[in-house]
Amino acid sequence: MSPDARVHFHDELRRVEEQALGGLDLVVAQLDRVLEALEHQDVELAAMVVLNDDLVDGRYLEVHQAVLSLLALQAPVATDLRTVAALLHVIKHVERMGDQCVNIAKLIPLSGHEPPVRGEVLQRLLHMGRSARSEVTQAKTAFATRDVALAEDLVRQDRAINRVNREIFQIAIDIGTDPDTREWAMHMVMCARALERVGDNAVDIGEQTAFVVTGLFREFSDATHPV
Amino acid sequence: MTDHAKDARAQDAPTDAAALARLPRRPEEPAAPVQSTAHTVRLKALNAFYGDTHAVKGVDLTYAANQVTAMIGPSGCGKSTLVRCINRMHEEVPGARAEGEVLLGETDLYGAGVDLTSVRRTIGMVFQKPNPFPTMSIFDNVAAGLRLSGTKRGDLKERVEWALRGAGLWEEVKDRLGSPGVGLSGGQQQRLCIARTIAVEPDVILMDEPCSALDPIATLRIEELIHELKQRFTIVIVTHNMQQAARVADTTAFMLAGELVEHAPTERIFTNPDDDRTEQYVTGKFG
Repeated sequence: MSPDARVHFHDELRRVEEQALGGLDLVVAQLDRVLEALEHQDVELAAMVVLNDDLVDGRYLEVHQAVLSLLALQAPVATDLRTVAALLHVIKHVERMGDQCVNIAKLIPLSGHEPPVRGEVLQRLLHMGRSARSEVTQAKTAFATRDVALAEDLVRQDRAINRVNREIFQIAIDIGTDPDTREWAMHMVMCARALERVGDNAVDIGEQTAFVVTGLFREFSDATHPV
Repeated sequence: MTDHAKDARAQDAPTDAAALARLPRRPEEPAAPVQSTAHTVRLKALNAFYGDTHAVKGVDLTYAANQVTAMIGPSGCGKSTLVRCINRMHEEVPGARAEGEVLLGETDLYGAGVDLTSVRRTIGMVFQKPNPFPTMSIFDNVAAGLRLSGTKRGDLKERVEWALRGAGLWEEVKDRLGSPGVGLSGGQQQRLCIARTIAVEPDVILMDEPCSALDPIATLRIEELIHELKQRFTIVIVTHNMQQAARVADTTAFMLAGELVEHAPTERIFTNPDDDRTEQYVTGKFG
């Protein structure tokens, strides 16, 4: 069997994949910053997260254009076609996760410089953030190594995130009558929701990994039967 | 043997095999939809040889009626040889022979008593390079086969128009039917050859790289024509152009070193083939 007859195309496909998965590194950096801003009520750092979203959006446009070029110029088929199609999904999820970081960042100044922080909420939120970060890096590794088992494991982590999300919601309901605390708690519920969505996007990338490897698309968990 | 001579021979007397003995039916009106005469073609344990070289190795394959099947594979994989076995052209090569069964409907084309010329009239062929008869007009190119099959003079005009319309050429040539066929462009010549092929109403049309000598626009016209022709005929197309296979074929068969590796719906072959060798070929990992 002779060597690869489409060296240039496969080099280009690898480059686009690295570019798309590199978008997940940008998301991780944004997550780190926004969690730090959340922990320390750092309004300046939150503003930086909002500004840096341009980097994520720029990466989305680059990969989107590269994918269009590959489809138009190289007519990929079989595994190559599935990879190209999956990269379009991956970069969309990257862009969405970047937006969720911005959503959190925009909530931080709304609570003022000295909000009535409740430790049991904030600690749970930071825990969610670390779990979401872990999911994003795992989604990247699973896709890069075409490891379906690792991709499927994202569901386990995501269930933990969802559980904490519900806990935060319940605490916010029971948080008392002080209007400032209630407002802060509502903001934290929205932050938790954003982190929960980051986790969902990571699972979606895991599903794309399984699609690339098996050729069959299936949802890892059924939304009609949430766990 | 020249193509002209072959064509003349192909219009010889009917066979005694009932399925092949039908004379072409006259269409009710030119360009009117014609009831399908397409047949399923089944290859059973087909082997083909050039002397000691085993070119096609035990292929079992069914070409469904009114479908386009693309044959793909690297050069020398046996796909053209296999297709030429279907209308028994393969055995015209000195030293070449074929074994196994090629069934058109229930008739074994390699069975005893089957008339070769009737086989080739029932299974038409379009070649890589357009090959209109050089000394004949556009009209006569299409009418040649009909005349040999005994079509009456009065019916000829109607039948020629029907065939030229079927090949998507009528509007371009209707005012110059007396001009030489070789004066047409490459794409038009190929459609003229298709008109000549369908004029005698075969059941099956074999196309061996029919667009490889054509420019992209002419290629797309032929591909559109293939979509229309499959309403009436079973079509087998050999192509090196995988995108062409993807565009025109309902099913695609991948051959490698004389063996049939995989035959599946075209969409499956180009999105998620079963066999690793198919995957590697279509993605250009070898070839």
